[in-house]
Amino acid sequence: MTEEEKRSFFSKIVRNLQDVIYGMASHDMARQALKTRGSMEHLFILITMGDLLGVPILPPYYSLRLLPYVVPQISTWKRRMLRERDLTDALA
Amino acid sequence: MAAIVLIVAIAIVVIGYQAYAAKMDKEVIQANPKKATPATLYNDGVDFMPASGSVLFGYQFKSIAALGPIVGPIVAVQWGWLPTFLWLMLGVFFIGWVQDYASAMMAMRNDGLTMGGLAYKFISPRARGILLAFLYFYLLLIMGAFGAVVAGLLAIPVVPVGLFILTLAGVLAGQMTYRWKMDLVMTTVITVLIALIGIWLGTMPWAKDLVNSINSLAGTGPKHILYNTPYGPMTWPQFFWGIVALAFCYLGSVLAIWRFAQPVNYVSFWFVALGLLGSILGVFVAAIFKTTNVAFQIPAYVTWNQPKLGWLWPILFVTVSCGAISGWHSLVSTAGTARQLEKETDALPVGAGAMFTEAILATMALIFAATALTKGNTVLYDANHMYFLKVKAGAIWAYGMSRFLSWIPGISPSMGAAIGAIFLAVMALTVMQLVLRFMRVASAELVGDKIPAFKNPHVGTIVAILFTFLILWTAFWQRIWVLFGGANQLFAGLALLLITIWLANEGKKHGWVFWPMVFMYVTTVTALLVTAWKSFHHMMTANVSAAFAFGDLVAGVIALFLALAAVILAADGLKSLAKARAKAASHAGD
Amino acid sequence: MSLAKVFRENPNRRYIMFGGKGGLGKTTFSAATGYWLAKQGKKVLVFSVDPQASLSDIFQRDIYGKGAVEIMPNLYAQEIDADQHIREYQDEIRQKIRDMYGFEKIPDEIESYIQAASAEPAMEESAIFDQVVDIVVAGGYDYYIYDLVPLGHALYYLSMASVYDQWISKITKLREEMREYEQMAARVSRKKETQEDLILKELQDIRYRISTSSSILTDREKTAFFFVLIPEEMILIDTQKASKLFERYQVPISGYIVNRVIPERVVKSEHAPAYLKNRYEMQKKYLNKIHEMFGNSVLAEIEEMERDITGLEMIERMAHAMFGEETLE
Repeated sequence: MTEEEKRSFFSKIVRNLQDVIYGMASHDMARQALKTRGSMEHLFILITMGDLLGVPILPPYYSLRLLPYVVPQISTWKRRMLRERDLTDALA
Repeated sequence: MAAIVLIVAIAIVVIGYQAYAAKMDKEVIQANPKKATPATLYNDGVDFMPASGSVLFGYQFKSIAALGPIVGPIVAVQWGWLPTFLWLMLGVFFIGWVQDYASAMMAMRNDGLTMGGLAYKFISPRARGILLAFLYFYLLLIMGAFGAVVAGLLAIPVVPVGLFILTLAGVLAGQMTYRWKMDLVMTTVITVLIALIGIWLGTMPWAKDLVNSINSLAGTGPKHILYNTPYGPMTWPQFFWGIVALAFCYLGSVLAIWRFAQPVNYVSFWFVALGLLGSILGVFVAAIFKTTNVAFQIPAYVTWNQPKLGWLWPILFVTVSCGAISGWHSLVSTAGTARQLEKETDALPVGAGAMFTEAILATMALIFAATALTKGNTVLYDANHMYFLKVKAGAIWAYGMSRFLSWIPGISPSMGAAIGAIFLAVMALTVMQLVLRFMRVASAELVGDKIPAFKNPHVGTIVAILFTFLILWTAFWQRIWVLFGGANQLFAGLALLLITIWLANEGKKHGWVFWPMVFMYVTTVTALLVTAWKSFHHMMTANVSAAFAFGDLVAGVIALFLALAAVILAADGLKSLAKARAKAASHAGD
Repeated sequence: MSLAKVFRENPNRRYIMFGGKGGLGKTTFSAATGYWLAKQGKKVLVFSVDPQASLSDIFQRDIYGKGAVEIMPNLYAQEIDADQHIREYQDEIRQKIRDMYGFEKIPDEIESYIQAASAEPAMEESAIFDQVVDIVVAGGYDYYIYDLVPLGHALYYLSMASVYDQWISKITKLREEMREYEQMAARVSRKKETQEDLILKELQDIRYRISTSSSILTDREKTAFFFVLIPEEMILIDTQKASKLFERYQVPISGYIVNRVIPERVVKSEHAPAYLKNRYEMQKKYLNKIHEMFGNSVLAEIEEMERDITGLEMIERMAHAMFGEETLE
């Protein structure tokens, strides 16, 4: 192993170790925060794009302006809204 | 001896991972790093979110390693340390990792379904309902088994003040990260330091006096005893501290997760990690420098029939619980990890890797127990009763851990014991909060439509707590532990059954899952039936206090229910399995 | 009080609106006021969203959907084509989606949403008012004379504006809360600062636009709103009702202008037919009532003209009828 390889090998180990420790210590906290944010995002889409369901909440003129930003989320949003939820989903 | 056992365990684990698990992953499951996983495919920022393999290894390990791997082996040494060690190793090698890894894989290959949905898909709609009811009782037993351990730990004078300050440090950590938006490293250093200082304060004479006076408030001498069980007395302090523990869990269940449960768990984690690291090093330090007496205090083999607990088979196999195999892990693997894995090939190091690591943790617990059964001149077990533990497993762990921490300068035996006890208490409380939260959700979903009151979070939580009370104070804790272990291992059997059917459906080799499933099923159903019979038998004998007789009844009924539910699931499951096999055979004939 | 005096004393009221039932002469007054102001060196834009293209008729030029067109020095007129505006707006959204995500084609799901949203009845009002904001925000004129859509629409828009405003503040709060969680996750996982929330920026802009467009109607400092009526019973009753409604939505009413008054000199002549005399008497009765009701706020009584008001010449006459010889100074 050259010096260079050694260094990159060790930095890889350190990085993985950091990841593992993060995974144990705070990944769940970060994930919960993102989950909360994500479900709010879906609520947001429901509110702004809700006139699709015949609920005029935001003037459609303005919800169109927001549309470009939520394009990637719309299909996952729909999928999540339509998916049958199971009790055991709530466990982790 | 301690170091040798640990080294043997590590060697077995490495072989199991490299030679067996990796082979199955490659040849049978055929994990494909290029295949899109649900986490990447459905990334919705809520249920599905990809994360890296290293992160998920940490996540999985932390989620599965709780009280089980620690308390289980400590209780099981009553049959002798060797059978316990053998089951730990054989269990994890042939069954444990299979369940954790393959359930993650199964969920990943089935659109990220969780246990309920998988039971519906692979067995029947009825199976899903039975599984959920099973799950509720299983969780209730976790509450009872862990709650009893925490109550026992809190009755130790050096524990409550330290645990209270640690909790405050946790709440502070929540405020610092969430409200005051402070840097995480800074927050961690400050709050963990506060927690450590708090634990040290808890070992001060004034703190011990305080707890002792609380303990004696309930009464001293004979008044101290709530009622007698054939295994020993149920005491008032234990009753009181049980309420405290459940109040703690109540807060964790109903308060915003940011305010209480998460930050307290976060600070606890660092404390646990530091304690574990210190004591693992301690095992080797002790072996090399002889800092403490690490000779095993209990024979390798004691007896086949532990008079108070039962036969080595099947009872030892359910007593050891999570260190060898645990149904809890399949819940984590499916609902948590499978929805985050960004590559199929990460399932092996995450699912199997974390399980093998947990077996090492269980081995540590075994070592602590086997070396710590005498404390000075006090024997912590009762040789006349064939090495029956006189104190709670928690106390033995605390004492054992303190011996391996004594090499660190400044850690007195009483500080070490406080660290060990609080270590175990926070591990238990972390899981209990999660379980209570889930029971609340479960009762809202299961009966919320018929009884709207259950939709109120407080109602669901309080009902779950009342059930826990019932179990805590009417049953003897070692028997609850056996029941919990039975439910836990049986749930693992259910997971293995699902995996077998899934593999058969896919036309893959499935004997490596099928036979472990059969073994787990036979062992745990037998254990539950034996426990039920024993409970009913006790109930009928004369001179049993009313409370304990009631506890017998509850334990017996739960054991019967769990066994019955499992048998129905197995009957339905085997039908599905036969169908899947027939289908695969006809395909093969084409 | 005279009409010119209202302009003189309130030089800040630069958004001028004439409201009232259809066909009472709002467009005429808008044009004439624009003429009067332009003649005095003020740069004026008269604009309308009426699809009937009445500004085109009055100025005798086709200006529909052509942006601001110069009618004479300092006087510009614009007729908004709402449909065209919506179409352009849709294309803008589509382009943005294509640019943001590098799509060749808008996904079907998204396209059908765009279509569905544009078919909503509320779309047009929002589009019109939004364009008004564009015009006003762009600036460049001393006076904006807004030939208002029929009263009902304006009131509907005003009533929705406050509801929208509340909604948007709620949504904004939601976005801000989401941001909190995002930052929290970033802090916990020790990631660098999170990305700016573009949606939040858009929301703030939408809010600004809605409040601007509703404040154009309701700002007492900047807005002069004149009611147009004629001395007839039905109109009188309607005007009274409408003015109450306007007050409720805090539209400041600067005054009333009575149109189509039969001049006294016409009935004085001996040859005046009885029919005309009767109408004159009737008008007189209602004029009295109008003065009773609105008192000093009645700013002008405009005689019925003998022909349609079209072309600059007639507009000049109308301006004279409204403002006389008075000037802004």
